[in-house]
Amino acid sequence: MINVWENTDPRDEAANFVAVWDIGATVLLDGTGEYAALLGIRGVPTNVLVDEHGIVRVVGGTTPDELDAAVAELLDGDGG
Amino acid sequence: MDHRDPAAQGPACSAGLAHRVRAHCPVGKGPEAVVVDAPRRRAFVACSRSDAVVALDLDTARPVWRADVGREPIPLVLDRPTGRLFSADARSDTVTVLDSATGTRLAQIPVGCYPAGLGHHPGLRRVFSGNTADGTITAVDADRLEVVGTVPAELGAGSIAVDTRRDRGWCANFMTGSVTSFDAASLRPLGRTAVREGPCKAVVDPARGDLYVASSLHGTVSRIRLDTGALLGELPVERAPVGMCVDDVRGLLYVCNRGAGTVSVLDTATGRETHRIMVGNAPGDCALDPVSDTLLVSNAGSGTVTFVHRPWLPGPPPPTSHPLVGRRLPGFALPDLSDGRIRTSREWAEKKYVINFFASW
Repeated sequence: MINVWENTDPRDEAANFVAVWDIGATVLLDGTGEYAALLGIRGVPTNVLVDEHGIVRVVGGTTPDELDAAVAELLDGDGG
Repeated sequence: MDHRDPAAQGPACSAGLAHRVRAHCPVGKGPEAVVVDAPRRRAFVACSRSDAVVALDLDTARPVWRADVGREPIPLVLDRPTGRLFSADARSDTVTVLDSATGTRLAQIPVGCYPAGLGHHPGLRRVFSGNTADGTITAVDADRLEVVGTVPAELGAGSIAVDTRRDRGWCANFMTGSVTSFDAASLRPLGRTAVREGPCKAVVDPARGDLYVASSLHGTVSRIRLDTGALLGELPVERAPVGMCVDDVRGLLYVCNRGAGTVSVLDTATGRETHRIMVGNAPGDCALDPVSDTLLVSNAGSGTVTFVHRPWLPGPPPPTSHPLVGRRLPGFALPDLSDGRIRTSREWAEKKYVINFFASW
């Protein structure tokens, strides 16, 4: 997970969020938003699915159904 | 108009046929809500991470005043009879009242825990705060600036729409996926309607007699009859709808899609999306200025308000897929929240993975 656009105290805000929602994933901080801008991310939450060749397969897919379908398709691809 | 965005204006030959982004006005950190006072040519923006409200001149898009309020103001309500502006300050558990002409603070009223939504009934002289953490609604007298009662709602109580014709309030409960209806006069709870996941915003369409509820975690807007409370259906929009406003003259609903950086424009007669408008990052809410035919959108991610002229007109067709799809992911080197260690995309080489971009708000 990559945290963006906190504006103030990104480390504290992200840490609180992770604790409240009991998130166990790796969380990185894009404090300036530069990486999100480089990818053309314009909203949150946004999911980016990447295959084993480093190619982006999906951008979006935020509802549970959409994400489940996108992950299933990614896993079913070559080299799954 | 200042802060022009020439790149967004498009060719001159299309000027009469398409909506046009007139400006992206910087306002502060985390602008979540915007309200418009068209006769006085002012807009007011709640900047949640600046702990402030900013007034803008609607004609120049320039700030007029800035006022400190409580911590993390999210929604705003303007009481036109008195010119008082109410902000709910989520992390202070207060509602701050400002003089909208000058930004002078008039009062700060303790309400429930984490007020994240406001509603307004000018006829009954009441402002309502939806208190997210304790699942209640606090009613405030708009003249005496005193709490007059509390209504039980559900966990995640936030945005409140008021049907002034029936003196009925509707509160969206984010955590329980429901709306609570209540009598705005007696403060008696009236019922509960289940909606889809993550309801964030409720608005009344008086012309059609409908209530719209944006379900942020489902990507839809629920439509409910105001007279019966019956759920009529769901209108699909884009990712994470969190803000809305109604143009009951043109029969349009504007929906801010926080996950996509867009506003969906829906025809309320058909329930269909007619087009989308590209705005700033992570838009939170929107309001119409009927004098200048402009939609104002507060963009929490980019710290701006976007001014969209004639938003009911379509624009250029949106791309069918994100430009990054099918391309190599640009490498990253970012600090890990847990220990500050720099992590790079090389660690995930030859793996399939999902990156979730998120913000805590």
